[in-house]
Amino acid sequence: MITIEDLRNCVRNGIDFVKKQKDVVDAEIFASWNEHITVRLNYTSDIPCNGVHEPKSTQLGGIGLLVVFKTGKEIRVGFGSTSNNITTKGVVEAFNKARKNKIYDPDFRSLPVPLGKPALENYHDPAVMEISDEAIVDLGWRGLKGALTAYNQKQFNKSIIIGGDITIMKERMAVASTKGIDGFDESTILTANITSMIEKENVKGTGWNTSTHLSCFNPEDAGRESAESAIRTIGGERISSGIYNVVFGRQPVTDLFTNIVTPALSLSSINASDTPFLGKLGQKIASELLTVYDDGTIRGSIGSKKISCEGIPTGRTDLIHNGSLVGFLANNYLSKKLENKFVSFIPRNGFRFEKGGRSHEILPKVCPTNIVIEGKEEVPSQSLLSAIQDGIYIGRIWYTYPINGLAAGDFTSTIVADSYLVKGGKIIKPLKPNTVRINNNIMDILNNVIAVSSDKKQTIVWGGEETVLAPEIAVQNVTLDNISGFIA
Amino acid sequence: MSAWGFYGQPIGEAESNPKSFNKILTFGIDRAYARAIANANKKAEFKPFAPSLTGVNLARIDACRDTINPIFDEDPRNVPIKDILNLCTKISGEMCRVCSDVQYAYVDSQTGISRELFCSTEGACIDQSYALTQGMVGVVAQKTGGIPEVCYDYLGDLRGWEVIKGKNVYKQSLADYALLRTHETLELTEVDFLPTIDDPVVVVTNPHFNALLVHEIVGHPTEADRVLKLETAYAGRSWLFRDYHDNELGKQIASPLVTAYSDPSVNGYGHYKYDAEGTPAKRVNLIENGVLKEFMNGREYAAILNHPPNGSMRATESNYVPLVRMTNTVFAKGNKPPAEIIAEVKEGYFIVNHRTPSISESRENFRISAQKVYKIENGKLTKLYRQGGITADSKDFLMNIDAVGNDFEVFPIPNCGKGQPMQIMRVGNGGPTLRSKARLTGHKES
Repeated sequence: MITIEDLRNCVRNGIDFVKKQKDVVDAEIFASWNEHITVRLNYTSDIPCNGVHEPKSTQLGGIGLLVVFKTGKEIRVGFGSTSNNITTKGVVEAFNKARKNKIYDPDFRSLPVPLGKPALENYHDPAVMEISDEAIVDLGWRGLKGALTAYNQKQFNKSIIIGGDITIMKERMAVASTKGIDGFDESTILTANITSMIEKENVKGTGWNTSTHLSCFNPEDAGRESAESAIRTIGGERISSGIYNVVFGRQPVTDLFTNIVTPALSLSSINASDTPFLGKLGQKIASELLTVYDDGTIRGSIGSKKISCEGIPTGRTDLIHNGSLVGFLANNYLSKKLENKFVSFIPRNGFRFEKGGRSHEILPKVCPTNIVIEGKEEVPSQSLLSAIQDGIYIGRIWYTYPINGLAAGDFTSTIVADSYLVKGGKIIKPLKPNTVRINNNIMDILNNVIAVSSDKKQTIVWGGEETVLAPEIAVQNVTLDNISGFIA
Repeated sequence: MSAWGFYGQPIGEAESNPKSFNKILTFGIDRAYARAIANANKKAEFKPFAPSLTGVNLARIDACRDTINPIFDEDPRNVPIKDILNLCTKISGEMCRVCSDVQYAYVDSQTGISRELFCSTEGACIDQSYALTQGMVGVVAQKTGGIPEVCYDYLGDLRGWEVIKGKNVYKQSLADYALLRTHETLELTEVDFLPTIDDPVVVVTNPHFNALLVHEIVGHPTEADRVLKLETAYAGRSWLFRDYHDNELGKQIASPLVTAYSDPSVNGYGHYKYDAEGTPAKRVNLIENGVLKEFMNGREYAAILNHPPNGSMRATESNYVPLVRMTNTVFAKGNKPPAEIIAEVKEGYFIVNHRTPSISESRENFRISAQKVYKIENGKLTKLYRQGGITADSKDFLMNIDAVGNDFEVFPIPNCGKGQPMQIMRVGNGGPTLRSKARLTGHKES
């Protein structure tokens, strides 16, 4: 395992080396080591299976070097990387690639400059960094046990499926530049995401648990929660196509933000003219009940980081305030390209998340950390059902995509689990999974919010980079279509 | 009881330092072994409470020893990076200069050779190398005050730099292809949005659209790991297999005109000779004349299903665990000229080129958007629409197919996501022109 000290020495020595090279104006060197461990679960009561299908891991580490060269009167920028080698030889190899790749980029302004002090220090768990193979495997079986026990207690032992995973992420990075950046970061992330089913009853439940520290991590809870939710939705009914008032649970809220809203609030989407929020800074884009911001400094939240992959301290970036668009997520490159005398962006979100870690192989993208959703006047979760009176509680959606591109705002998704029919402000019966498709425009959803819950939970979805501190949200006039009539 | 344990790590500078390769390999084997032992012990402990837990059983295959060399006209290793940079810069500049309504142009290009060595305790030793060259274009165009029109698309093949010069499914250089996509996107900014229509209508879908359609409603649900529920928490199950006694194998799930197969032996992004378990790759007949026949599988899933192994396991990179993956998965060619398929339609829509999919959990329903939709009136294409697509229940769509074209194309799909951590895989998908029924989906104005 590569230590923080190894990485810091690498970037500091690397900068010293690059400064001495011909034609170099500026340089930024990033070095990282990441381990991504996954324990995949697959228990099927009626099909031979492994239970814990496999404990597995992959590592990612090396050097990424961005160099600004002066060639004649022209400034050229080049990037090079080397994997599994943070020695001087690795730096030289990355530098030679950067020199070979250099190109004139009319939009490049400068490398990042230091900006304040980090709010978060020592927030990782050394016990996660040192976790043994036996302990990794044990976490998987504990998640499985949580679900199996809950099913057995209710006498369900046939037609059971338990899937999902326990994921452990260890990240270490250091960055230094000729502009005075000299920082490092170390984080640990634990997640349990478990989905279970009683297949003959056509019910599915979801449970999840997240932590930055092993001592607070409880995969059994995720397993148990998934089983209890599946059992609760036995006997689900179809609904007819129409327009409904709905409550989106935490997973659907997270899915909508991860796949539709947050990408549209990034300067990379502004840069590509591919967002419904283009030209709307300062304007009302959502219900005045809704406030959204990104905050990478929340201790205990798995999306938190001390510094970005450009060495900038994380912080709070306001995106939507009381329904008005007030900001965008930014990295250094785009913040400088798109700033003008009326508007500027603090580049707190330049991260190199790729392949399950902070990757040395790529330049910083714009990535969220913890997306926090708040209401102007938050209410208890139960009050959301009263707010919609008659409608649907949607607990889990799936395959949410901006079907006509982000800019058009159209999205579609299907309801796959954890959902109920609501009448008179109360849950009356479960909704049959996989029988409803949501077809809407995200602008309508944002503008039709009628209540936001005060209870929030760290939530992540498959393939998502960020954590959402997700409330439940009541929305009126949502188009739902009855589908898959050929499935009984 | 036996159980799996895995360890993965990129080998980095192995070519320049073979000693580091041995070190990584030895360390990795030790870790994988420790995990497998720990997992096996726990499995045995749980067995009394969970009777379906079983040891790992792999279907038997012949241990192969082989070397596969890459195929190319122009060796990717001889293409200077400067040439690639200059090409992309030049093309994106040309795209922007087509019209001031082009707000954003994106071009990337890559060429290279990947080499994988597979060895097993059964005696296999397979050294496979494949070239891969790909170009991607993205364009965003917008009329003042209008909604931007966005297009992203790819060309590519498992060959050398000649792909960028025109040796690809489009038979166009990357530059010509990018400019064509730019002009098409600009054209769309001038036309109306497709209206949503609640009742099914006649739709003719072109081969590019059918590449994504076959991917989503035939390819994914015929992957044996989905069938056996391993993807329940991620990419979903398959409506084709509920359990051993209740499934669609041997049953009519599509019109008798429909045949679909997955064939890694032919050219395309899904080509290879051996899969990531060392199993020789072979054509898998998924649907024959509308009847479901086989699933794509790996050795463990083949053993569970008591099917012969068919070599469909692949990992995006060798440090990831192999999953069941599509190869070149296609609808088979029919016998009707595409022009005739359209000419026979009194009133309907021509759905051209895929864009974005959204599929139900067990692949039983889909909504897929298209780059362009034309109205068909009395056998002729009349009006062009934007931001449209179709939605249908998968079985209804497949059963309603009443014409299959004698055209046939296989397109590169470079970004199929599956697994945890998610692996992005290249596959080939395609087919002929098809005619069926579906509901139209359009842009929902806010």
